[in-house]
Amino acid sequence: MKPAPFEYHRPRTVEEGTALLAKYGDEAKVLAGGQSLVPLMNMRLARPANLIDINRIESLAYIRDDGRALRIGALTRQRAAERAPLVAERCPLLRDALRLVGHAPIRNRGTIGGSIAHADPAAELTAILVALDGEVTARGPKGTRVIAARDLFVSYLRTSLDPRELLTEVRIPALPAGAGWSWMEIARRHGDFALAGVGVVLAVRGRTIAEARIGLTGVGPTPVRAAEAERLLVGRSPSEDLWNAAAAAVRAAVTPDGDIHASAEYRTHVAGVLTQRALREAWERAREAA
Amino acid sequence: MTPRRITLRVNGTTYTAEAEPRKTLADFIREDCGLTGTHLGCEHGVCGACTILMDGQTVRSCLLFAVQAEGADLATVEGLADGDRLHPIQQAYWDHHALQCGFCTPGFLMTTVELLHDNPRPTEREIREGLAGNLCRCTGYQNIVKAVAAAAETLADAPGALRVTGAAAPSRATSAVAAPRKPRATPATSQRARRSGKTAKRRSGPKR
Amino acid sequence: MKIEGTNTLPASVETVWKAINDPEALRSCTPGLKELKAVGPDSYQATLQIGIAAVKGTYAGTLAITEKQAPTHYKITLEGTGGAGFMKGEGIVDLEPQGSGTLLKWTGDIQVGGLIAGVGQRMLGGVGKMLIGQFFKCLEDRLGGNA
Repeated sequence: MKPAPFEYHRPRTVEEGTALLAKYGDEAKVLAGGQSLVPLMNMRLARPANLIDINRIESLAYIRDDGRALRIGALTRQRAAERAPLVAERCPLLRDALRLVGHAPIRNRGTIGGSIAHADPAAELTAILVALDGEVTARGPKGTRVIAARDLFVSYLRTSLDPRELLTEVRIPALPAGAGWSWMEIARRHGDFALAGVGVVLAVRGRTIAEARIGLTGVGPTPVRAAEAERLLVGRSPSEDLWNAAAAAVRAAVTPDGDIHASAEYRTHVAGVLTQRALREAWERAREAA
Repeated sequence: MTPRRITLRVNGTTYTAEAEPRKTLADFIREDCGLTGTHLGCEHGVCGACTILMDGQTVRSCLLFAVQAEGADLATVEGLADGDRLHPIQQAYWDHHALQCGFCTPGFLMTTVELLHDNPRPTEREIREGLAGNLCRCTGYQNIVKAVAAAAETLADAPGALRVTGAAAPSRATSAVAAPRKPRATPATSQRARRSGKTAKRRSGPKR
Repeated sequence: MKIEGTNTLPASVETVWKAINDPEALRSCTPGLKELKAVGPDSYQATLQIGIAAVKGTYAGTLAITEKQAPTHYKITLEGTGGAGFMKGEGIVDLEPQGSGTLLKWTGDIQVGGLIAGVGQRMLGGVGKMLIGQFFKCLEDRLGGNA
């Protein structure tokens, strides 16, 4: 299985990259990690006439802390982020989720920006971006703009990015000090796409939940923020009953499709179960941090 | 698509050839470098048979275009053995009957190299998870897991043995038993430019 | 894969019936339709280019309307083959008056095969529903303008 012919471009700067995108528009695809795009090209399901290889734009690979959030360059390899001390310290939820993205060779090439721009309905990073109210920066012919996570994911493999825009940075808010977190997903085999996945953050004051974040993947065309479940948790004290109630709210919030891998009923049910387990684990971690 | 000139290093030896940008790194390694130890299974990143090391990290060579590897340092299965001496990981696979047809094995070996480099004392679960990106149709995996555990033991007693050739120039293997294909070349012969026209065409000429 | 849905359209049953039989409406509302050529009464040759994001396939095939019971019921069949696979969809449409508008009920059976089905299994159902949803949204917009 070999890809169809294409014109190959290798810009060295973001400006060169956006100029190429402006020129070729939807006749071009950006090549970052290639772990999602190249399989499609090898099978000729995607045949971009122009491939814009951004892998030499070194200015796009970085991980910084701006005091409130991690600012991650779009080209940062998933493996690098998984191992970065800054990520472990400021957003361990991201680190834990990254460990479950595919397999090592996938993460050695796959990028943070690429995963988000690709918007697979079962991706981990998109759920985290949505749960933590992250943002991305995109540069295009009309200039630079910041897109909030809630405005970014439109549908299966579709974001609100224009084909002529290059995603340059991902901003993921750091977890509040002392917060507990948990990422849980279920798949038939380690490394498979999640049948359902959930990321939870609990900020705690004494025995009360001060803030709750719940983001899910694999349960619809885009990542789901379980706002109703979050509201249920804030101001309450942890208990099995509370976790059950939150799980029920999550089940009501998701509309997964069934397919040969798992039915809609299964995914809905398991989303609830994972939420309960994740809440329990997040609470444990918050207590340990106290 | 204009062919581009690509120069890269595999197992310490430099290769230069021309290829269309759409030629995958796996095909380039196999056809232009003549190193057919790297196998093509699914060609969409799932089976792991094409796994090699690029600049020290595992990658799916079927998901990279050769042009992307310009200037890179690659390690393939041919670089594991030292002449007649199998690499400890290969020896462990051999000892534990961790291969039958051998088609998936090069990918498993390169994955194991990185796995044990990153985690010299993996638990069984860590081994299974670390190998989860490689598919085998013959063995049922049990012996592969045993082999990796055994290799970890061996390497724990002999640090430095994990080293995979990047720097060492491959020597000529004379024994056929359990050894990888005769590695090519001294630098002199490997630097000739190879014309790569259409892909997947069997070339006539001296047998490699 | 079986899917179903309902749509409320802001027009009388007769108006909606005319719209869903009108080749112009079909031409402009069927997602990805590049060409629709009548080859007989209620029978058309169609070329579709559909997919999501970078994954697009071109399908050549036929669209036919059968089992007509004017003005409330028909069956619409769309099938096509292309490089990425084949697809066959059958939809049963029923119209009911609802207030001053119409309740449109549809059930569909879609089969997708070939490469796109193997690779895209995880998303086929959802994407299928989405495309059908787009069709009815477009119809709704057209009828909203005429009501």
